[in-house]
Amino acid sequence: MALVVAAAVVARLAVGRARRGRRAPGGPVPPGPVPPGPGGGPSTGPARGPLGLATLARASQQAVEATLGVVGLIAMREVKERVRGRIFRLGTLFMLLAVGAAIVVPTLGSGHGPARQVVGVVGPLPVRGQQLVRAAASRDHDAVSLVPEPGLAEARSALRSGRVGFVIVDGDQILVERPVSSSGSPADPALVRDVATYLGVLEAYRQAGLSARQVSVLDGARPVAVRALEASSKAPERATSVIGLVLLFFMLTQYNTWILIGVMQEKSSRVVEVLLATVRPLQLLGGKVLGIGLVALGQAGLIAGFSVVVAEAVGSNLLRGMGALVLLSELLWLVLGYAFYCWAYAAAGSTAERQDQVQSLALPLSLPVLLGYIYSIAVASSGNADLLFKVLAYLPPTAPFCMSVLVSLHQATWWEFTASALVSLAGTVAMAVLAANIYRRAVLRTGARVHLRDVLARAPR
Amino acid sequence: MSALLELVGLRRRFGSLVALDDLSFEVPAGQVVGFLGPNGAGKTTAMRAIFGLTDLDAGVVRWDGAPVGPAERRRFGYMPEERGLYPGMKVGEQVEYLGRLHGLSPAAAAAATGAWLERLGIADRRDSKVEALSHGNQQRAQLSAALVHGPEVLVLDEPLSGLDPAGMDAIGQVLVDQARSGCCVLFSSHQLDQVEDLCERVTIIDHGRLVASGTVDELAAAGPRRLVVRIEGERTGQWARGLPGVTVSEVAGGAARLVLDDSVDSDVVLRAAMAVGRVTQFSFQRRRLSEVFREALH
Repeated sequence: MALVVAAAVVARLAVGRARRGRRAPGGPVPPGPVPPGPGGGPSTGPARGPLGLATLARASQQAVEATLGVVGLIAMREVKERVRGRIFRLGTLFMLLAVGAAIVVPTLGSGHGPARQVVGVVGPLPVRGQQLVRAAASRDHDAVSLVPEPGLAEARSALRSGRVGFVIVDGDQILVERPVSSSGSPADPALVRDVATYLGVLEAYRQAGLSARQVSVLDGARPVAVRALEASSKAPERATSVIGLVLLFFMLTQYNTWILIGVMQEKSSRVVEVLLATVRPLQLLGGKVLGIGLVALGQAGLIAGFSVVVAEAVGSNLLRGMGALVLLSELLWLVLGYAFYCWAYAAAGSTAERQDQVQSLALPLSLPVLLGYIYSIAVASSGNADLLFKVLAYLPPTAPFCMSVLVSLHQATWWEFTASALVSLAGTVAMAVLAANIYRRAVLRTGARVHLRDVLARAPR
Repeated sequence: MSALLELVGLRRRFGSLVALDDLSFEVPAGQVVGFLGPNGAGKTTAMRAIFGLTDLDAGVVRWDGAPVGPAERRRFGYMPEERGLYPGMKVGEQVEYLGRLHGLSPAAAAAATGAWLERLGIADRRDSKVEALSHGNQQRAQLSAALVHGPEVLVLDEPLSGLDPAGMDAIGQVLVDQARSGCCVLFSSHQLDQVEDLCERVTIIDHGRLVASGTVDELAAAGPRRLVVRIEGERTGQWARGLPGVTVSEVAGGAARLVLDDSVDSDVVLRAAMAVGRVTQFSFQRRRLSEVFREALH
């Protein structure tokens, strides 16, 4: 959101949006045929045929350019150049594979058993019994289907062939191929235990001769609240948080480095001089951070969507309950973190002209990122957030990591989260103003590396 | 009245170095103006000032009577001394992109890009990356980028440097054609012969100050008289060195090129020459631009 806000500010400040279709009034004509009007060019007409990704991408590009003018043009050039790069494509593929593995692997041989359970039923199983089986499956995150079996012999055969995980016989027995605790059992041990317990309770109700109302009251029983002094280290949202932190660190580092190197390369190739003869420094800077930010957001969105699909497909509990909230929180903090750091990296890039200068500039900027990341991983693993960590959750350089972890530990209320986001937004605005000043003064100064004291003083361009 | 680019009272100091020192001159539309000066004279700083690429301590740049701002600059074309294009971007895409930044529609930018690449002889490199082009072709791509939006003012910093004679002629002809179609063309160069051929006007600066400005004809006709004397059997010009008010500027191809003070009677020179041998050439000539340049800097 901060990125969008910052882009909007840039767009507002950027006077002189592209006037579509304008030719320089009175200017000399280029050689050859007179350029056709908007939409009339042979190479730029709208794509024909069914709506596809290319059409969608073109429509998005035109929308950004039309909305933000010159800033949008600059942003879309960045998007095209970055997405076209092999590094981006391979990096995205690698991250998708890594995230997919992080979600799938814990569901393999983790003791939860298969996610989909086929349950054979021999003899009668009352509706109430069927409801209990489904309730147990839901509790254990299994998808269950009940399959009637004609007789015990067929049920045994189905068990041996693996067609069913276990069998309920006459509503009061459970048949499994081998003990559920043994390895290789197709039955989910937790589900078998829960179904056995539920059916046992149902049988007890019957024997006790309870009325329908009494049974209903008992059914409505809910466990009392269990409060732990320390959160469980095995809570799924904690694992989600750690995976998210790794991605957040990777993406923040990658995209901010792109900004740093991109600005440096524009300066060293002198293309910045041609660009700034046409557009304002703030437009150029805003377009670049917006473009790279859109790529980051797109990549993060793709990974998040992919994670949800994979998690759903394999029955992972990483994104259930609080896990989804943690994912959303980390997406938001990716945007806020990028919005804060991108300006600092851009300003640093504008003072450098060579690769070795970039490395020495990147190091101090990456220290708060590293601090926040390492500290957050430690806290997410231990579950212990101390006072210093909570303070860091309100400072823009470390908040993207620390506040996400507090969310996963259930130690941040909505207003604390909002307060931290607002502080981050305020820090972003301050950083953007400072960075724009440094950029404007440094990016056209070539030769030796420009030092901050030179540009922060009354410094000529 | 045709439009005019005016640089008025420009001052710029970098620490103790004075880059521009109350510099003023004009570039009329429809003319090619050569911008000359020794290295470090302030040419590049003055050109960057037109585009707001350097802060000015004082002075103003006007176009058509009004101070130049961002909106005006989008109608200008600029080719910096240190060429600037994205090395890894395709030539066609890059020129189109710059056309769009100058306000062209996608279709107009694509058409103008094709036309200019064709005109400058690099249409077949449209899909090549800039870094894959030769120096001369990069120069052409850069010029295409400066021209793609049909600028009203074209400012080129050393557009001819590093080009072979054919390249110089091709780019020179583009500059002349642009001026003929009403563009205001200012370019700097050290190729004085080319400047003399291409320009109607010349502006010469040194140490950030204007030292000479005018049409090529005016500048050539001004100053001391030039006399070329050729004598059979005499190839050193030594005979003229002792004559009062006469300076031997050069001896080339057996002919001595003399610079005469206002007080010198050319008949005296002729008699001195005849005393040495048979005179086969005795003619007054205009100042060459190189002479204008050298004398302006003295």
